[in-house]
Amino acid sequence: MKRHTAPIRALATCVLGMSLLTGCAEQSDDTIVVGLSADITTFEPGMISSRDNANIARHIFGALFTLGPDGEHIPELAHTLEISDDGMAYVYTLNQGLTCHDGEALTAEDVAYTFNRIADPANRFTGNTPGFVFSSIGFESAEPLDDLRVQINIAQKNPIAFGLMTEVYVYCKDAYERMSLDEAASNPIGSGAYRLASWTRGSEVVLEKVREPGNFERIVWRIIPEASTRTAELIAGNVDIIANVVPEQVETINESGRASVQVVSGTRRMYVGYNLSAEHAAMPGGDAIQDPDVRRALQYAVDVPTICRQLLSVECERATGLVNPQNANPNLIPYSYDPELAGRLLDEAGWPRGDDGTRFFIRMQAGQGRYVNDVNVVLAIVQYLEDVGLDIELELMEWASVYTPLLRERSMGPLFFLGTGGGLWSPIYDMTDIARVSSGTNYTHWSDSRWFDRWPDMVNTEDLDEQRVIIDEMLEVFYDDGPWLHLYFQPDFYGVSDRITWTARRDEHVEIFEASLR
Amino acid sequence: MGAYIVRRLLQSIIVIIGVTLVSFLALQAGGDPTYLFVSERASTEEIEATRQALGFDRPLHEQYLSFVGDLARGDFGQSLSYRQPAMEIVLDALPATIELTLFAMILALMLAIPLGVLAAINRGTAWDGSITTMSMVGQSIPSFWMGIMMILFFGLYIRLFPISGNVPFLKPLIAGDFAVAFSNLPRTLYHLVLPGIAVGTYSLARNTRLVRSSLLEVLEQDYVRTARSKGIAEFRVLVHHALRNAWLPVVTIVGLEFGFLLGGVVVVETVFSYPGIGRLLFAAINQRDIPLVQAGVILLASIFILLNLLVDLVYVRLDPRVKLDGGRG
Repeated sequence: MKRHTAPIRALATCVLGMSLLTGCAEQSDDTIVVGLSADITTFEPGMISSRDNANIARHIFGALFTLGPDGEHIPELAHTLEISDDGMAYVYTLNQGLTCHDGEALTAEDVAYTFNRIADPANRFTGNTPGFVFSSIGFESAEPLDDLRVQINIAQKNPIAFGLMTEVYVYCKDAYERMSLDEAASNPIGSGAYRLASWTRGSEVVLEKVREPGNFERIVWRIIPEASTRTAELIAGNVDIIANVVPEQVETINESGRASVQVVSGTRRMYVGYNLSAEHAAMPGGDAIQDPDVRRALQYAVDVPTICRQLLSVECERATGLVNPQNANPNLIPYSYDPELAGRLLDEAGWPRGDDGTRFFIRMQAGQGRYVNDVNVVLAIVQYLEDVGLDIELELMEWASVYTPLLRERSMGPLFFLGTGGGLWSPIYDMTDIARVSSGTNYTHWSDSRWFDRWPDMVNTEDLDEQRVIIDEMLEVFYDDGPWLHLYFQPDFYGVSDRITWTARRDEHVEIFEASLR
Repeated sequence: MGAYIVRRLLQSIIVIIGVTLVSFLALQAGGDPTYLFVSERASTEEIEATRQALGFDRPLHEQYLSFVGDLARGDFGQSLSYRQPAMEIVLDALPATIELTLFAMILALMLAIPLGVLAAINRGTAWDGSITTMSMVGQSIPSFWMGIMMILFFGLYIRLFPISGNVPFLKPLIAGDFAVAFSNLPRTLYHLVLPGIAVGTYSLARNTRLVRSSLLEVLEQDYVRTARSKGIAEFRVLVHHALRNAWLPVVTIVGLEFGFLLGGVVVVETVFSYPGIGRLLFAAINQRDIPLVQAGVILLASIFILLNLLVDLVYVRLDPRVKLDGGRG
């Protein structure tokens, strides 16, 4: 008997010994570990295009001003901003004594260099800063006025330029002039609180603290693509924060006794869009949705709170438009779920049920795998709309290769399901999706003059109270006769270990500066 | 033999070009990749500028011929996502995958041979039935499900093995950092246990059945009966007479197995967050990083071709009846 169990005991001893020698040690108190779902591809600020990538870079690079969790502007590398009377020159005054991670002094010349380098077409940067921020603000040039003052020139007055410029990560000229583009992409020399200690592609990024703020000496960002593996690592105590928890695992985490899930109402606006283009008006059902009365009737057909509760595992309040709640028109009350009223309004609009019980046929398109539980949400919406008499042909499409090209051509629909990113810092930022009829993000081709005629007034007024009145007026038009069937702001799910205190933000920014041990 | 090897290597160039063409067309069939490299609010002008910057504005044949031309000069192009030489990135991920594949293969072989032999020499008994049933189950279980179950049981509930990640051994070894490599080795093996089992289970099951059936066939041969009738001990008959001849199909399969496992670790690497070539390619395909995918595909195809060649050469050594010019002696 003894001889037979010896190999088994030896193996068990070996495994236990290895587990003690290797991975089962408790985490160090000066280190926090964050589990992300997507891989990091670059540390070149001009090339960063994903939020996960930006979240790490945010700890390495400083910005002139930054955004607080509620969208407030917070001074960081700069302490003052002056805007010229014509609104086309932004003069930032930097704090004294700034340095980059290599010890080089950070001056206005470095800030100007940062802006101009990102915009330089020779670098062929395709990230969010050159591709969205600079084009949105109409960036023209940056120039140092003296050691501490830098002027950013933009093409025209833009009420959201200040907020957008918080996305520009600043670095030092000498260091980046010495490096090739390849070197800069993997060896960032930043101006933020942490420096890059190591990057194992596809595995982890380790940052080390070089200055305040930050309560941990090291931040380890681990790339864990599989949601169930992230959850297991959190519960096992190997990771402190995980992003993108799937709703089905919320209960498991909360019942683990080692971690809990923080659910925040994100800034992404989820809606069913009505494509009102002439091309889509000629399609079956496309003519019906041209009528604002039909669109308004359909608002009453969908039970959004139930969708949130059953399919997203959260309680939510239905959206009233495209602006995040804290900046929305407070007088607008979310549409209720009232299928009888929806049916009556459709009757009145001239779309009674036919002999087969349906009112009109219409196609709905949606991408899949992009948003939280998106396929089930779309199926539920289709069922609600069919309950009030619509005959819907649903087309679920692969997101990246099939749906995105349609999106860019603004040719999906006549009905389509979509979520677009928003912000907390300005209602105008949220409204910019539909700044012009021809805007690339006006996927609906909506052209109501009551909205578009007021846009210049809203942008150009100097009186903030007057601007607010105009915004509320425009949001009311959008609420009543707009091109969206309002749904919800997508909830974001974060798993947080009981070892630490950390509060998730609504804007998908994962910032570790304020995190601390319990 | 030299001429044979040269001829096979020349043929392999045609195979690799074919592989690059198929993968290029497959990636292009998924639509314009430009949209994956711009923000959701990018304007038409920005999208067009990005398309030009990435080279997707050129006709397909021009893109492909340009790629093949660069390839002939040994230039695999730059990864669109990482902005670094594509082959460098792939080679950087390769050692981790080789570690996993070798571990899984060795694990599978170490268990498959004794289990296969045990089943064969106990044909028709409970031993045979149990091993055959287990083999069928092992071949039926999807590796990703196996991986998740092992994470839950061994990683989470009894906390015996790490849930994800890896500790490199080959990478520092190749870099000449022997001290780091060998100090890492225990942790490398420790991190390989769960993904190694997930990857190797299918091979273990298949090889067990293969060893069993191959050995059963050999045990029926006249020369085995003759050996037994001469009074040679059963163990010696088994090892020196039967197993030696039963090796041939096993060697063929095992040789190809490495290539099969290399290509098959994608899902397991994703489940275990294992930073190997499979996960890299999976992400590259999702991101339509065409140069990166092409570099990975060429590398994997080359390894597979070389392994095929190696198997043929080993086969000649094991079976004198086989000749490299195609016929049997």
